[in-house]
Amino acid sequence: MPVLGRVVATERKPNTPHEFHFWTALDSPVGIGTIVRVESAQPVSGVLPVVYGVVVEGFGYTDVETPLHEVLGYDGEPGGDAGAPTRRTEIRLYSAAVLRHVPEEPLQPVSMGTVHLASDEDVAVALRMDAYLTPGSSTGIPVGLYRSGATSSPVWLDADFLLGPEAAHLNISGVSGLATKTSAVEWLLASIFAHFPAKKGRVAAVCFNVKGPDLCFLDQPAVKLDEADRALYDRLGVPAEPFKDVEYYAPYTAKGYALNTLRSNDALAHNVKPLTWGLREVLQYAEVLLNKDDVDAKADALIDFIKERVVDQEFSDPKYLTAVHRVQSFGELERWFRDLLTGMEKQNAESWRTHHVATIRKVRNRLTNISTRCRGLVTDDGTVSDLPFGEFRDRAVYVVDVANVEADAQDLIFSRIVSMLREHLEKRDLGVEHVIVFVDELNKYAPSDGPDTYVRAMLLDIAERGRYLGLVLFAAQQFRSQVHRRVVGNSGTALFGRMDPDELAMPGYSTLSPATRTKLSTLEKGQLMVRHPHFSQPVFVRFPRPAVLSGREGVERFPQAAEQTLDEAVTRALRTLDRTVTLEWVKDSIALADEEEVLRARNRTMQAKPDDVKAFFRAQLKRRVRAEPVDARPRQPLKTAPTDDPYGF
Amino acid sequence: MASTYDAAEGGTSIREALRALRNAPIPGDEMGISVVRPAGPALELTPADATPPRLEAATSIEGDLLAVRGVGEPVVAFAAFLDGIQASQVILRGRDGAPVVHGTVAAVVRRRSDRILHVWRGAPRISRALYAPVPLIGARELEWLRSTRMEIVDTFAGGDAALARHPMELLALARTAVQRRREELEIALAESWCASEAEPLFVDGGISGAGRASQSMFAVGVVKSHRTLYATGGALTVVTGLEAGARTTAFEIRSPRRTTVASWYLRLRDARGRDPFFGLVRVEIARESWSTERADEASRWVLAERAPVSLPDKRWSTMAYGIRDCEEYLRALTGA
Repeated sequence: MPVLGRVVATERKPNTPHEFHFWTALDSPVGIGTIVRVESAQPVSGVLPVVYGVVVEGFGYTDVETPLHEVLGYDGEPGGDAGAPTRRTEIRLYSAAVLRHVPEEPLQPVSMGTVHLASDEDVAVALRMDAYLTPGSSTGIPVGLYRSGATSSPVWLDADFLLGPEAAHLNISGVSGLATKTSAVEWLLASIFAHFPAKKGRVAAVCFNVKGPDLCFLDQPAVKLDEADRALYDRLGVPAEPFKDVEYYAPYTAKGYALNTLRSNDALAHNVKPLTWGLREVLQYAEVLLNKDDVDAKADALIDFIKERVVDQEFSDPKYLTAVHRVQSFGELERWFRDLLTGMEKQNAESWRTHHVATIRKVRNRLTNISTRCRGLVTDDGTVSDLPFGEFRDRAVYVVDVANVEADAQDLIFSRIVSMLREHLEKRDLGVEHVIVFVDELNKYAPSDGPDTYVRAMLLDIAERGRYLGLVLFAAQQFRSQVHRRVVGNSGTALFGRMDPDELAMPGYSTLSPATRTKLSTLEKGQLMVRHPHFSQPVFVRFPRPAVLSGREGVERFPQAAEQTLDEAVTRALRTLDRTVTLEWVKDSIALADEEEVLRARNRTMQAKPDDVKAFFRAQLKRRVRAEPVDARPRQPLKTAPTDDPYGF
Repeated sequence: MASTYDAAEGGTSIREALRALRNAPIPGDEMGISVVRPAGPALELTPADATPPRLEAATSIEGDLLAVRGVGEPVVAFAAFLDGIQASQVILRGRDGAPVVHGTVAAVVRRRSDRILHVWRGAPRISRALYAPVPLIGARELEWLRSTRMEIVDTFAGGDAALARHPMELLALARTAVQRRREELEIALAESWCASEAEPLFVDGGISGAGRASQSMFAVGVVKSHRTLYATGGALTVVTGLEAGARTTAFEIRSPRRTTVASWYLRLRDARGRDPFFGLVRVEIARESWSTERADEASRWVLAERAPVSLPDKRWSTMAYGIRDCEEYLRALTGA
């Protein structure tokens, strides 16, 4: 590499072991974020030191002492430049943060030397990537391409520090609407799936789609992938294609007919599955939905009693209950409460098994209310359709669409799924050894202030202990400063897209130079600043557009299905299991059933996935006496009175 | 210890010279000279017995009397700028006050290409030497000085050792010797340019002493100081009353030891309400190449160098930016 600049140090601007200054020609390709190599001319212990640095600040000035001199020089006429035959002496002076000294010891201030643009090999050494890019045992995951002048070098993250066990988790910050956060995650997932070493185990991703159609078309190819993007994919060794194995999960709408997702086009229905839970699943995480101020210790005790003694077993209390109850659904729980409270009223009892009647009423109100608040997710009848815990597939993406779901239900979904992932990973029976959980809008789920919620506590737990289990959090938010410090602090890797200047003014960014902050606030689409444990300074990279259909394009290409009637909704659901199911068949089958019964039958069929879908579905409907045609025999007419006999004799 | 500067860069700095003297074995018991502590100021910053201002008549070669001419619009034509610097400091003194001066002189041609100045032919000319009245210094002391391996210039060469012993006079001799050395470097560069290039060279100062360059049509000297004014009587009013962008008619400057050149005064900037010498320069070109058209043309070239201004230099009203650039360059390089 040709000499690009020379190190310079003055008493006012001295070099240190962590920072140095150099000047360049005016037309040099150096900019903020450029990685350079300094070749010192002064040997230390017989070795000529080489120092790698990244440019963090730039200065330019001329020999004009004050602006007034310049005004005088032009007679106050700014347009007078054309006549000046000589350009003033001008300097480009840069400050660079040291990335690495070779050799590492003794650690000394950077000495005078020549400055060169870093080559591919230099970038690998400067970012300490040489430690994990060993041929045959590489754990590198490409995150993007570092570019400067004619240099374009892949930048690799260390899988051990991205997915554990050394460090883990990823946090992405950036303003909305610039295709940074979601695109970066989509790209990085593709990169991980392509490069995660097989010997490290299997990996899958669970993505929570929290807004719009962002993640609804991960299995569809991108429309706008140009040659430059494809070249980036080639250079980074990642196939430019959509994810091959994607499953979508969404609760039903409140009405219960259709799934509550923007991925409702018939052409994409084959891998969209309902997410529904019954009483048992919800009670496990009741504390997510129950306000702590509302549910005191007494209520907590009753809920525990119900969980342990009432649900999923025969329960009788001849003194108060009129029947033996087997509670398996919210509907049955409501009947149990009603029976119990009626029994207590009849006997004028104020407490039952130490639980006061007021507490019982309160718990009844709160629990039965859950199925209303989370309508579409929680079923009264106990039907469960869940992620395939225990059967997770390698390199599969499971998208849970909660974009149109109420906040309470979102919290419940998030808490239960993550807890289930954790439980299965602890037992090593999930099906994969590593799960990436992607959550957008992290500042909503783990805010830096506000009440201590169950979701936040769980996110903190993942952030602090998840890496040992293989549970990795990829989280995104617009304002990093509004996310709990322990969550972002435990993210080994951080990506920054274009940032809001107000956000950059927060104390958390004070370690960045003003020039780096300026660059962050003006980053183009597809550019990121990367922090990683191996990199002693953040570096800027460019990543390709995701090879998947964007949400906006997806909803245009696959418009949302029109609002469905009950017949259509059932047909659509059953056809995912059996393509021979027709609308006419469904209409005929459900003609005599009520809506609730039809939906229950559909849900049970979807859960059971029987071989004979039609027979199973019909069997779920209540048996009815088949209607018979009215006897067509002529009836004897009533004997008419003789017209001349007014008394009928 | 090896010098920071190689021979092409002019030898040894003051600090290195003093270090070499400190480390050198002292011949004999006691030296007749000793190091000056603390080091004095640069001689260029100390008041000197300058030549008193004077008026001198000159022979007009463009009409009978000195008159005013407009020169037209500025034209950019200079391809390069030549200037030199000097810096000298007393570092040793004898018991009788005889000074030993460390002198640094340098000269450079800065060639303009695409409006940016670069060093012509890759390197400036730099000379560092000790300037001493050799006959007044003892043999042992001279041997000690030579241990620095620096060039020793005899400031007394050709003088009568018995007559001149006043320390201030010796200092003036040293300063003159340093100046002479700077002029030698400048002349060598000017001659070199004129011998090899066919484009105009802006020379800081007069060219009458510039050897073969003084006869070249490519060297244009621009004199900023006017301790000698080539105007007497009514001509003086013509010079001081010149308006911006105008020149006087030309005259000859003759000197016994210098080449005769054609010269004229040119006002670069509006001096109304200011010192009469504000923006006033005297231009010199070879006598042989002179013509009225040539004088107008060279004036237009000089006028074009008014921008950018060379502030914060105090001489900015008359100093071309290219000359300031030469000086800054040499100062940066020599530390002078």
